[in-house]
Amino acid sequence: MVTTLIDPQTSTWVDVFSTKQGAVYQSDAERCWYVDFAGKVAKFDYRCLLKLKKAVYNVDIEAKLLETSKDPDVEIIFICACDHTYILTLMQIIALKELMEGTFVMLQLNSILQDRLYRIAV
Amino acid sequence: MKDLIRVRSLISAEVEMLLNQQVKKEAYSSSIYLSMASWCNRNGFDYSSDYFFKQAEEERQHQLKFYKYILDMGGNAVSPEVTGIKQEYNSFREVFEEALDQEISVTQSIKNIYARCLKEQDFVTNEFLNWFLKEQREEEYKARRALELFEVIGEEGTGRWQIDKHVGDIKYNSEA
Repeated sequence: MVTTLIDPQTSTWVDVFSTKQGAVYQSDAERCWYVDFAGKVAKFDYRCLLKLKKAVYNVDIEAKLLETSKDPDVEIIFICACDHTYILTLMQIIALKELMEGTFVMLQLNSILQDRLYRIAV
Repeated sequence: MKDLIRVRSLISAEVEMLLNQQVKKEAYSSSIYLSMASWCNRNGFDYSSDYFFKQAEEERQHQLKFYKYILDMGGNAVSPEVTGIKQEYNSFREVFEEALDQEISVTQSIKNIYARCLKEQDFVTNEFLNWFLKEQREEEYKARRALELFEVIGEEGTGRWQIDKHVGDIKYNSEA
Protein backbone atom coordinates (compact mmCIF):
# COMPACT_ATOMS: atom_id res chain seq x y z
CA MET A 1 0.00 0.00 0.00
CA VAL A 2 1.42 3.35 -0.99
CA THR A 3 0.02 6.45 0.63
CA THR A 4 0.98 10.08 0.62
CA LEU A 5 2.22 11.91 3.64
CA ILE A 6 -0.70 14.34 3.70
CA ASP A 7 -2.89 11.44 4.75
CA PRO A 8 -5.02 12.49 7.79
CA GLN A 9 -4.11 9.43 9.87
CA THR A 10 -0.52 10.59 10.07
CA SER A 11 -1.48 12.38 13.27
CA THR A 12 -1.50 9.03 15.06
CA TRP A 13 1.89 8.08 13.74
CA VAL A 14 4.86 8.45 16.02
CA ASP A 15 8.20 9.59 14.69
CA VAL A 16 10.78 6.89 15.09
CA PHE A 17 13.66 8.40 13.21
CA SER A 18 14.18 10.82 10.39
CA THR A 19 16.96 12.16 8.25
CA LYS A 20 16.96 14.75 5.47
CA GLN A 21 16.23 12.02 2.96
CA GLY A 22 13.47 10.13 4.71
CA ALA A 23 11.64 9.13 7.84
CA VAL A 24 10.17 6.17 9.65
CA TYR A 25 6.94 6.40 11.61
CA GLN A 26 5.30 3.87 13.86
CA SER A 27 1.59 3.24 14.04
CA ASP A 28 0.67 1.64 17.35
CA ALA A 29 -2.90 1.03 16.25
CA GLU A 30 -1.93 -0.83 13.10
CA ARG A 31 1.16 -2.40 14.67
CA CYS A 32 3.32 -1.44 11.77
CA TRP A 33 5.78 1.11 10.49
CA TYR A 34 5.59 3.58 7.62
CA VAL A 35 8.78 4.22 5.76
CA ASP A 36 8.82 7.53 3.91
CA PHE A 37 11.62 7.21 1.42
CA ALA A 38 12.37 7.74 -2.26
CA GLY A 39 9.10 9.54 -2.90
CA LYS A 40 6.72 7.03 -1.37
CA VAL A 41 5.37 6.09 2.00
CA ALA A 42 5.30 2.35 2.36
CA LYS A 43 3.78 0.24 5.10
CA PHE A 44 5.91 -2.47 6.69
CA ASP A 45 5.00 -5.00 9.33
CA TYR A 46 7.55 -6.46 11.73
CA ARG A 47 8.76 -9.25 9.46
CA CYS A 48 9.05 -7.04 6.41
CA LEU A 49 10.85 -4.27 8.24
CA LEU A 50 13.46 -6.78 9.38
CA LYS A 51 13.77 -8.06 5.83
CA LEU A 52 14.17 -4.52 4.52
CA LYS A 53 16.92 -3.89 7.03
CA LYS A 54 18.67 -7.10 6.08
CA ALA A 55 18.39 -6.36 2.36
CA VAL A 56 19.83 -2.87 2.78
CA TYR A 57 22.64 -4.03 5.06
CA ASN A 58 23.56 -6.75 2.59
CA VAL A 59 24.44 -4.26 -0.14
CA ASP A 60 28.22 -4.03 -0.26
CA ILE A 61 28.51 -0.27 -0.56
CA GLU A 62 32.30 -0.24 -0.60
CA ALA A 63 32.45 -2.73 -3.46
CA LYS A 64 29.90 -0.67 -5.40
CA LEU A 65 31.94 2.49 -4.90
CA LEU A 66 35.10 0.84 -6.17
CA GLU A 67 33.38 -0.74 -9.15
CA THR A 68 34.58 0.83 -12.38
CA SER A 69 32.23 -0.86 -14.84
CA LYS A 70 29.85 1.27 -16.84
CA ASP A 71 26.74 -0.46 -15.56
CA PRO A 72 24.08 1.90 -14.31
CA ASP A 73 24.49 2.78 -10.66
CA VAL A 74 21.20 1.20 -9.65
CA GLU A 75 20.36 -1.28 -6.93
CA ILE A 76 17.08 -3.13 -6.63
CA ILE A 77 15.94 -3.79 -3.10
CA PHE A 78 13.46 -6.59 -3.44
CA ILE A 79 11.89 -8.06 -0.35
CA CYS A 80 10.40 -11.50 -0.48
CA ALA A 81 6.69 -11.70 0.47
CA CYS A 82 6.43 -7.95 0.76
CA ASP A 83 4.54 -5.51 -1.45
CA HIS A 84 7.36 -3.07 -1.91
CA THR A 85 10.40 -2.86 -4.08
CA TYR A 86 12.92 -0.07 -4.11
CA ILE A 87 15.01 0.84 -7.10
CA LEU A 88 17.70 3.07 -5.73
CA THR A 89 20.94 4.72 -6.67
CA LEU A 90 23.99 4.15 -4.52
CA MET A 91 23.54 7.52 -2.77
CA GLN A 92 19.99 6.53 -1.90
CA ILE A 93 21.17 3.16 -0.59
CA ILE A 94 23.57 4.95 1.73
CA ALA A 95 20.76 7.24 2.87
CA LEU A 96 18.38 4.29 3.39
CA LYS A 97 21.01 2.44 5.37
CA GLU A 98 21.48 5.47 7.60
CA LEU A 99 17.72 5.63 8.06
CA MET A 100 17.50 1.94 8.96
CA GLU A 101 20.41 2.14 11.39
CA GLY A 102 18.85 5.09 13.16
CA THR A 103 15.44 3.46 13.20
CA PHE A 104 16.67 0.27 14.80
CA VAL A 105 18.71 2.13 17.39
CA MET A 106 15.58 4.09 18.32
CA LEU A 107 13.43 0.95 18.45
CA GLN A 108 16.00 -0.71 20.66
CA LEU A 109 16.15 2.36 22.89
CA ASN A 110 12.38 2.24 23.13
CA SER A 111 12.62 -1.42 24.13
CA ILE A 112 15.12 -0.61 26.86
CA LEU A 113 12.99 2.25 28.17
CA GLN A 114 9.82 0.16 28.16
CA ASP A 115 11.63 -2.65 29.91
CA ARG A 116 13.04 -0.39 32.61
CA LEU A 117 9.81 1.53 33.13
CA TYR A 118 7.25 -1.23 33.11
CA ARG A 119 9.05 -4.34 34.24
CA ILE A 120 8.65 -3.59 37.91
CA ALA A 121 5.15 -4.69 38.73
CA VAL A 122 3.20 -1.93 40.40
CA MET B 1 5.19 4.48 21.56
CA LYS B 2 4.49 0.78 21.93
CA ASP B 3 7.40 -1.64 21.84
CA LEU B 4 6.19 -3.50 18.74
CA ILE B 5 9.28 -5.64 18.38
CA ARG B 6 8.94 -6.96 21.92
CA VAL B 7 5.33 -7.85 21.18
CA ARG B 8 6.46 -10.11 18.36
CA SER B 9 9.55 -11.65 19.84
CA LEU B 10 10.79 -12.44 23.32
CA ILE B 11 14.44 -12.60 22.32
CA SER B 12 16.48 -9.70 21.02
CA ALA B 13 17.94 -9.67 17.50
CA GLU B 14 21.40 -10.21 18.96
CA VAL B 15 20.39 -13.25 21.02
CA GLU B 16 18.48 -14.62 18.04
CA MET B 17 21.61 -14.36 15.92
CA LEU B 18 23.71 -16.10 18.57
CA LEU B 19 21.15 -18.88 18.93
CA ASN B 20 21.11 -19.36 15.17
CA GLN B 21 24.90 -19.63 15.21
CA GLN B 22 24.52 -22.28 17.89
CA VAL B 23 22.05 -24.19 15.70
CA LYS B 24 24.73 -24.22 13.03
CA LYS B 25 27.38 -25.32 15.51
CA GLU B 26 25.27 -28.22 16.73
CA ALA B 27 24.54 -29.26 13.14
CA TYR B 28 28.26 -29.15 12.42
CA SER B 29 28.95 -31.26 15.54
CA SER B 30 26.39 -33.80 14.45
CA SER B 31 27.97 -34.07 10.99
CA ILE B 32 31.49 -34.31 12.34
CA TYR B 33 30.44 -37.15 14.67
CA LEU B 34 28.85 -38.91 11.74
CA SER B 35 32.12 -38.64 9.84
CA MET B 36 33.98 -40.00 12.90
CA ALA B 37 31.54 -42.91 13.05
CA SER B 38 32.30 -43.67 9.43
CA TRP B 39 36.08 -43.51 9.96
CA CYS B 40 35.92 -45.79 13.02
CA ASN B 41 33.72 -48.26 11.22
CA ARG B 42 36.01 -48.36 8.18
CA ASN B 43 39.00 -49.00 10.41
CA GLY B 44 37.47 -51.79 12.43
CA PHE B 45 36.55 -49.87 15.58
CA ASP B 46 32.90 -50.87 15.60
CA TYR B 47 32.11 -50.02 19.21
CA SER B 48 33.53 -46.52 18.80
CA SER B 49 31.58 -46.21 15.58
CA ASP B 50 28.33 -46.94 17.46
CA TYR B 51 29.36 -44.45 20.15
CA PHE B 52 29.80 -41.71 17.54
CA PHE B 53 26.51 -42.58 15.83
CA LYS B 54 24.82 -42.01 19.19
CA GLN B 55 26.69 -38.75 19.69
CA ALA B 56 25.67 -37.56 16.22
CA GLU B 57 22.03 -38.22 17.06
CA GLU B 58 22.34 -36.36 20.37
CA GLU B 59 23.85 -33.31 18.69
CA ARG B 60 21.01 -33.35 16.19
CA GLN B 61 18.54 -33.29 19.09
CA HIS B 62 20.39 -30.33 20.61
CA GLN B 63 20.20 -28.54 17.29
CA LEU B 64 16.43 -29.05 17.15
CA LYS B 65 16.05 -27.86 20.74
CA PHE B 66 17.68 -24.53 19.87
CA TYR B 67 15.78 -24.35 16.60
CA LYS B 68 12.39 -24.82 18.21
CA TYR B 69 13.23 -22.45 21.05
CA ILE B 70 13.98 -19.65 18.56
CA LEU B 71 10.68 -20.27 16.78
CA ASP B 72 8.69 -20.53 20.01
CA MET B 73 10.06 -17.20 21.17
CA GLY B 74 8.94 -15.52 17.94
CA GLY B 75 12.31 -15.48 16.25
CA ASN B 76 13.44 -16.59 12.85
CA ALA B 77 15.20 -19.97 12.95
CA VAL B 78 17.59 -20.43 10.06
CA SER B 79 18.26 -23.89 8.69
CA PRO B 80 22.06 -24.03 8.58
CA GLU B 81 24.43 -24.88 5.79
CA VAL B 82 27.06 -27.34 6.98
CA THR B 83 30.28 -27.60 5.00
CA GLY B 84 33.91 -28.52 5.49
CA ILE B 85 33.47 -31.79 7.36
CA LYS B 86 36.75 -33.59 7.88
CA GLN B 87 36.51 -37.14 6.52
CA GLU B 88 39.93 -38.62 7.23
CA TYR B 89 41.86 -38.99 10.47
CA ASN B 90 45.48 -39.91 11.02
CA SER B 91 44.92 -42.15 14.01
CA PHE B 92 42.31 -43.66 16.31
CA ARG B 93 43.47 -41.34 19.07
CA GLU B 94 43.16 -38.25 16.87
CA VAL B 95 39.45 -38.95 16.44
CA PHE B 96 38.88 -38.70 20.19
CA GLU B 97 41.13 -35.69 20.55
CA GLU B 98 39.06 -33.85 17.99
CA ALA B 99 35.82 -34.99 19.61
CA LEU B 100 36.95 -33.37 22.87
CA ASP B 101 37.99 -30.18 21.05
CA GLN B 102 34.57 -30.04 19.48
CA GLU B 103 32.81 -30.39 22.83
CA ILE B 104 35.01 -27.71 24.39
CA SER B 105 34.19 -25.31 21.61
CA VAL B 106 30.46 -26.00 22.06
CA THR B 107 30.73 -25.31 25.80
CA GLN B 108 32.58 -22.05 25.12
CA SER B 109 29.96 -20.98 22.64
CA ILE B 110 27.09 -21.68 25.06
CA LYS B 111 28.93 -19.73 27.76
CA ASN B 112 29.17 -16.87 25.31
CA ILE B 113 25.40 -16.83 24.70
CA TYR B 114 24.80 -17.09 28.44
CA ALA B 115 27.01 -14.06 29.05
CA ARG B 116 25.16 -12.06 26.43
CA CYS B 117 21.78 -13.01 27.94
CA LEU B 118 22.95 -11.97 31.39
CA LYS B 119 24.01 -8.63 30.00
CA GLU B 120 20.59 -8.14 28.42
CA GLN B 121 18.86 -9.59 31.47
CA ASP B 122 17.24 -12.16 29.23
CA PHE B 123 16.63 -14.57 32.10
CA VAL B 124 14.23 -16.65 30.06
CA THR B 125 16.95 -17.69 27.63
CA ASN B 126 19.37 -18.17 30.52
CA GLU B 127 16.97 -20.63 32.06
CA PHE B 128 16.68 -22.42 28.71
CA LEU B 129 20.47 -22.61 28.44
CA ASN B 130 20.86 -24.15 31.90
CA TRP B 131 19.93 -27.53 30.46
CA PHE B 132 22.71 -27.26 27.89
CA LEU B 133 25.29 -26.25 30.47
CA LYS B 134 24.49 -29.38 32.42
CA GLU B 135 24.55 -31.45 29.25
CA GLN B 136 28.01 -30.11 28.39
CA ARG B 137 29.34 -31.44 31.71
CA GLU B 138 28.39 -34.89 30.55
CA GLU B 139 29.63 -34.42 26.99
CA GLU B 140 33.02 -33.11 28.04
CA TYR B 141 33.36 -35.78 30.72
CA LYS B 142 32.69 -38.54 28.19
CA ALA B 143 35.11 -37.16 25.62
CA ARG B 144 37.80 -36.69 28.27
CA ARG B 145 37.24 -40.15 29.69
CA ALA B 146 37.64 -41.70 26.23
CA LEU B 147 41.03 -40.04 25.88
CA GLU B 148 41.95 -41.24 29.35
CA LEU B 149 41.45 -44.82 28.15
CA PHE B 150 44.32 -44.27 25.73
CA GLU B 151 46.52 -43.39 28.72
CA VAL B 152 45.47 -46.16 31.09
CA ILE B 153 45.16 -48.99 28.59
CA GLY B 154 47.88 -47.93 26.17
CA GLU B 155 47.82 -48.44 22.41
CA GLU B 156 50.41 -51.21 22.26
CA GLY B 157 49.50 -54.79 21.42
CA THR B 158 45.76 -55.30 21.64
CA GLY B 159 45.42 -51.91 23.36
CA ARG B 160 43.35 -50.23 20.66
CA TRP B 161 41.00 -53.19 20.54
CA GLN B 162 40.52 -52.92 24.34
CA ILE B 163 39.98 -49.17 24.13
CA ASP B 164 37.38 -49.65 21.41
CA LYS B 165 35.54 -52.21 23.53
CA HIS B 166 35.39 -49.88 26.53
CA VAL B 167 34.38 -46.67 24.74
CA GLY B 168 30.75 -47.77 24.60
CA ASP B 169 30.66 -48.29 28.37
CA ILE B 170 31.57 -44.71 29.24
CA LYS B 171 28.81 -43.25 31.35
CA TYR B 172 28.36 -40.09 33.32
CA ASN B 173 26.04 -40.52 36.26
CA SER B 174 26.92 -37.79 38.66
CA GLU B 175 24.19 -36.77 41.06
CA ALA B 176 25.70 -33.33 41.50
